[in-house]
Amino acid sequence: MSIRTFRGGAHPPERKERSGNSPIERLTAVSQVVIPVNQHFGAPIQPLVKIGEFVRAGQKIADADGRMTVPVHASVAGIVKKIEPRLQSNNSEGLCIVIEPKEAPEGESATEFMPPLDPFSCTREEGLARIRAAGIVGMGGAGFPAHVKLAPTKPITWVIANAAECEPYLTIDERTLIEMPQKVVDGVAIVMKLVGAKEGVIAIEENKKHAIPHVQKAIEENPQVRAGMKIRIQELKTKYPQGGEKMLITAITGKQVPSGGLPMDVACVVQNVGTLCAIVDAFREGKPLIERGFTVTGGSCKTPKNIIAPIGTVVGDLVRAGTIEIDEASLTKVIFGGPMMGVAVPGYDIPIQKNTSGVLFLNEEEAKAYEEDTCIRCGRCMRACPMALSPALLAIATEGGDYADAEKIGLLDCIECGTCSFVCPAHRHLVQRFRVGKQVLRALKQKEAQNVR
Amino acid sequence: MSDKKLLLGSSPHAFSPVDTPRIMLSVIIALIPATAYGIYLYGVAALGVVVTSVFFAVLSEFLFRKLLGESFTIGNFSAMVTGLLLALILPPSTPLWMVALGAVFSIVVAKEFFGGLGANPFNPALIGRAFLLMSFPAAITSWSMPKGLALPADALSTATPLNLLKQGNALADVAKYFGAGDTGAFYRQLFMGYRSGCIGESSILLVLLGGLFLLGIGVIQWVVPVSVLASTFVFSWLLGMDPVLSLLTGGIVFGAFFMATDYATRPLTPLGQAIFGIGIGLITVLIRKYGGFPEGVTYAILIMNALTPFLNKLRVKKYGFVPPPKPAKTAKGGTK
Repeated sequence: MSIRTFRGGAHPPERKERSGNSPIERLTAVSQVVIPVNQHFGAPIQPLVKIGEFVRAGQKIADADGRMTVPVHASVAGIVKKIEPRLQSNNSEGLCIVIEPKEAPEGESATEFMPPLDPFSCTREEGLARIRAAGIVGMGGAGFPAHVKLAPTKPITWVIANAAECEPYLTIDERTLIEMPQKVVDGVAIVMKLVGAKEGVIAIEENKKHAIPHVQKAIEENPQVRAGMKIRIQELKTKYPQGGEKMLITAITGKQVPSGGLPMDVACVVQNVGTLCAIVDAFREGKPLIERGFTVTGGSCKTPKNIIAPIGTVVGDLVRAGTIEIDEASLTKVIFGGPMMGVAVPGYDIPIQKNTSGVLFLNEEEAKAYEEDTCIRCGRCMRACPMALSPALLAIATEGGDYADAEKIGLLDCIECGTCSFVCPAHRHLVQRFRVGKQVLRALKQKEAQNVR
Repeated sequence: MSDKKLLLGSSPHAFSPVDTPRIMLSVIIALIPATAYGIYLYGVAALGVVVTSVFFAVLSEFLFRKLLGESFTIGNFSAMVTGLLLALILPPSTPLWMVALGAVFSIVVAKEFFGGLGANPFNPALIGRAFLLMSFPAAITSWSMPKGLALPADALSTATPLNLLKQGNALADVAKYFGAGDTGAFYRQLFMGYRSGCIGESSILLVLLGGLFLLGIGVIQWVVPVSVLASTFVFSWLLGMDPVLSLLTGGIVFGAFFMATDYATRPLTPLGQAIFGIGIGLITVLIRKYGGFPEGVTYAILIMNALTPFLNKLRVKKYGFVPPPKPAKTAKGGTK
């Protein structure tokens, strides 16, 4: 089997060995959950419960009409204590529902799951409705509604399970592959059935080679595969951002997603392994997305490990309970997500969301900050950019306010992976400028469109 | 949780250990063999030129930035690189005050006037040399014989191989001038660098060694040096010159690896770099063949430096590039 990859990229220090060998620990008893109402990419939704109300685990507590909405469910049974804005892992305040766990009243169930649904005998509409009802979003980080992604308007050939886990530090996908390979393979089969794909590909980076035998065995034992479904493993070079949707598609199919287009334009659907597991739970157990796995690690984390916890678990509660031990003296930066695309937050009293893949506690050395120097035009960013966007020239265009040129170079195609800023020997804030630049350019275009009208 | 303030900031939160000072330092390391050999060949005079050039380059950068109230950039070693590069492309007999003047001109006029590191349109060391060549043509074109080689009895002053060839001497005579028995031995001698010339550019072997080191660690890319050398070879051959001799003499190999690859003044895109390199080879050969000077690498690189901003327009196609829709044929003339 050949090892494939994409053009460009970089090799940030992986540091996965800290948590890679520790089995996933399942947490059930938490002192509270703080569930953000809006955890998805799309239109906002509203709470459906009132303060003082008893809710069961799996009960829908927020929803709204509209295609780009995803409901949210109570992750534990308990009393709704507060509904108020709290700091979320995206570093801004958002409405959260605070639930204090409490046993169910006499004769009542503590859980409220849907009835199981056979994904291979139900209709496509029933399947998509189930995925939306289970509140499933892309768990790799973006939080894109899964029922939208799984309803492509073009024919699909490939379903790609994104197990590249190219972000350094994070190991939850790796552990999932090792501990629940059957679930991952089942998830691929379900998604293939839903979108009518011909081939399923589980994409794994070389540094997780040891997980491949587990997955291979699960593929061989899968009933759908035995009935003729085609699912295979594709090994990929360990390189950031190999797990970027477009990089993954290009590495596997050799096709490029057209600028401004979607994976379905090249007959692909990509789902993170965490999302696939959530889809399996939604069908097989009727269980909505109320818990997820994530990695806690970093130089200031004394207990690097992988945890499955209810959505809304406050990281600070885990620290106070001793589940996570932190070296406060050296703690310098807390990140939700990976070090390349994650968000630095001002504290850790922040809840785990549907898209939280890890929480990093970085020490001084890991979180070393650098002053921005002048561009020496070495061209490292030009070679590293996985989208071939000439970041050095793009930076000149955006800094000079030449948005016409910036658009021509491809500012709107930037996937914000941060590889340019990582490789820059002058520590230029390249991707940071492009993030702002994209918003400015979009605003300019919107204004232009209005003027034309 | 303690009251300790956590660092914030937009991602990424990890950075490559390769920074500007490390890159500049690796260029200096790559130049050490050629520099050491130059000092061995020409003795104290060459050492004086190297020390003077580096010292005045660093000093003038420091003073100029102090004058302007700018932050000091000595720590990134870039002035040191410029000073060293200038010294290596000067004759060992250059008077030290001229060397100092050239170094100051390189740093202040060619670099800092344009905004310092990364913002200069022309290669500072080459500007320094061009400035000295125009101001003191006699001094910058007088050469010393390398250690252990005596001036032939009938020669009045030392000349470089290119000088002698330009004057119409036969290759065999030039070989004899440098004490080589036949032309084959002379080629080997040129490759090793045992000939008169600038301090650092004579030994092709040591320059290649430094260049390959920089290629190996990824500080420079192959496109520029390969296109410069290939185009010099091809155009010399087309114009009826000995293509191998063209590469072995003068400063073309040194220029290809250490001057044309200068980050700030070469194009950033691969296609731009290829055209840039081919242009340097072509102009060098044209100057050598038809120009008034025996050597043309300096001017060839400076001329192509001027084209760099335009060559940067030759960008690579972005990922997922979709060509803009062509206007429909029926619309022709119909929309006026």
